[in-house]
Amino acid sequence: MSASLGTLLTVPFERPYLTRALIELLLLGGVAGIVGVFVLLRRLAFLADALTHTVFPGVVIGFLVSGQHGIFPGALVIGCLTATLFTGLAATRRVAEDATLAILLTGFFAVGVVLVSRRSSYTSDLTAFLFGRVLTVSDGDIVTTAVVTGAVVVLLAALRKELLLVAFDPQAAQAAGYRVIALDLALNLSIALVVVAAVRAVGTVLVIALIVVPAAAARLLSDRLLVVTVLAAVFGMASGWIGLLVSYQVSVDHGIRLATGATVVLVLVAGYLLALAATAARARSRRTAPDALAGSATRPALAGEATGPAAPSAPEAPARAAPRGPVR
Amino acid sequence: MTLWDTLGDGYTRRALTEAVLVGLLCGAVGVHVVLRRLSFLTVALTHATFPGVVLAELLGAPLVLGSAVFGLAVVAVVALVAGARGGSGGALPTAEPGGRGGRDVSSVTGVVLSGGFALGVALMSAQEGFSKDLAAFLVGSILTVGVPDLLVTAVTAAVVLGLLAALRKELLLGAFDPTALAAGGYPARRLDLVVLVALELTVVTTVPAVGTIMAIALVVGPAATARLWCARTGPMTALAMALGAFAGVVGLAVSAQWDVAAGGAIVLVVSAFFTGSLLLAPWLRGSARPALAAGQRG
Repeated sequence: MSASLGTLLTVPFERPYLTRALIELLLLGGVAGIVGVFVLLRRLAFLADALTHTVFPGVVIGFLVSGQHGIFPGALVIGCLTATLFTGLAATRRVAEDATLAILLTGFFAVGVVLVSRRSSYTSDLTAFLFGRVLTVSDGDIVTTAVVTGAVVVLLAALRKELLLVAFDPQAAQAAGYRVIALDLALNLSIALVVVAAVRAVGTVLVIALIVVPAAAARLLSDRLLVVTVLAAVFGMASGWIGLLVSYQVSVDHGIRLATGATVVLVLVAGYLLALAATAARARSRRTAPDALAGSATRPALAGEATGPAAPSAPEAPARAAPRGPVR
Repeated sequence: MTLWDTLGDGYTRRALTEAVLVGLLCGAVGVHVVLRRLSFLTVALTHATFPGVVLAELLGAPLVLGSAVFGLAVVAVVALVAGARGGSGGALPTAEPGGRGGRDVSSVTGVVLSGGFALGVALMSAQEGFSKDLAAFLVGSILTVGVPDLLVTAVTAAVVLGLLAALRKELLLGAFDPTALAAGGYPARRLDLVVLVALELTVVTTVPAVGTIMAIALVVGPAATARLWCARTGPMTALAMALGAFAGVVGLAVSAQWDVAAGGAIVLVVSAFFTGSLLLAPWLRGSARPALAAGQRG
């Protein structure tokens, strides 16, 4: 039984193009899951979504300037520009963050659309941008993704304490002398990096799901930051694997074409629903238990490092419970 | 102006009418979106109604009907899982202080958005030649709107504008001080749902005609621009509606003049208004800026 399951999970990947797709999806699933935890804590899901759209003109301009090789640098420049603009505008507090993002999203995307609409093969470019071409990733793409993954993971690991403090108590971070805007910028830039690395391979539809869904599901299952991070990374990678496999098997065995990216997203969402059901079941069983009142009303905060020596006001932090989002 | 020369053509007149109607409707709804921080939910609505469009096309039903059903489903899911306020901001007063990890509005909206869109894509990828439809869905094709589209938009505009006007006091109170609204004995949850449903109606009638990106731009852009100039919601609503309609007309003119995608041109005009206002408003209005605060509280 386990042997046949093992072959089912691995045999298709003897084909080189599927192996490359699998490696790419595993790398992206892992790094997106990790970044996603911070996205969740800071409630930046909208930023991730906006970035997936704003890099579009970068892709177009890069392609116009130097073909396939121009796509990554083009998207990178525009992605970083978006992250910087957003950080700056959010710091001025003159416009609500969500409105800023919506305007950046539509404005940048429209530039891309206008540029592309001057060319004839307009719709096929747009389609590739939306769904990516994970089955045609090259070794070079994988190397780029690996480099981005390494850089982002190192950056987030190094700034872990500071980023968490800002997430849970920005005033305390400010008071402790941290440069909150610089930390915000670092986080927003790493989100942009992941989005840029992923967009070309898996398309915009998948990126937002890879970042948001694993972290949200993991957070449902645990209150400890380290556990959440590991779970999110594992969940992201597993969904990539399963989704790729399902879309391959369905198209080979049953002749139904299923876009790979979309299948991975559907696997992710199914996982989230399972986690939601598990939490609901747990909450119900706890409610029937006698000493349940406190448990369901104030679920323990994801305390993380907030009680460390870096946080002077740490004692209140857990009491304020769940992440309060970017109160800047 | 090229637009002027083609004014005799039916399609130009229909496109202009649609742009003005959509601009007025989105501008008015956008005020509530900006005050309540519902931009992300707007994006989610535009994307997650996609499977509805695909299914309706497969079944031969009207596209608006398909997306309306899915839009209602999105509103229901977000309201159920994360609470009816549906705001994407971090510090909404009614947001539950604890126990919502992984279920906060932002994450749930993200999950619904990507899940819905992926479902649509998966449905679509099973057919032949889907890329063209998809591009139309994203950027719209305002130049090909027909008389039935116009009628649907007009009816929706009348219904939604009437609703917003009739409930404007309660809705504004809800945007600024939901606690006071509930304390005053109003059905706060139901009023929040009214806003969401008005937004949903706007999005589903706008998207098939003008595409997702333009719908988002027209809902959020004019209202956010007006917000920079106005400290009172009455003038803000009027200005947002005027800007929305004006941006539609200017965008169509630009599109006809330089032969670029109409949807893209309209969005760029909206962005230009916003950028200009962002740079100019502090100078022209001075520093004494009263706080119209719901969107800014934090």
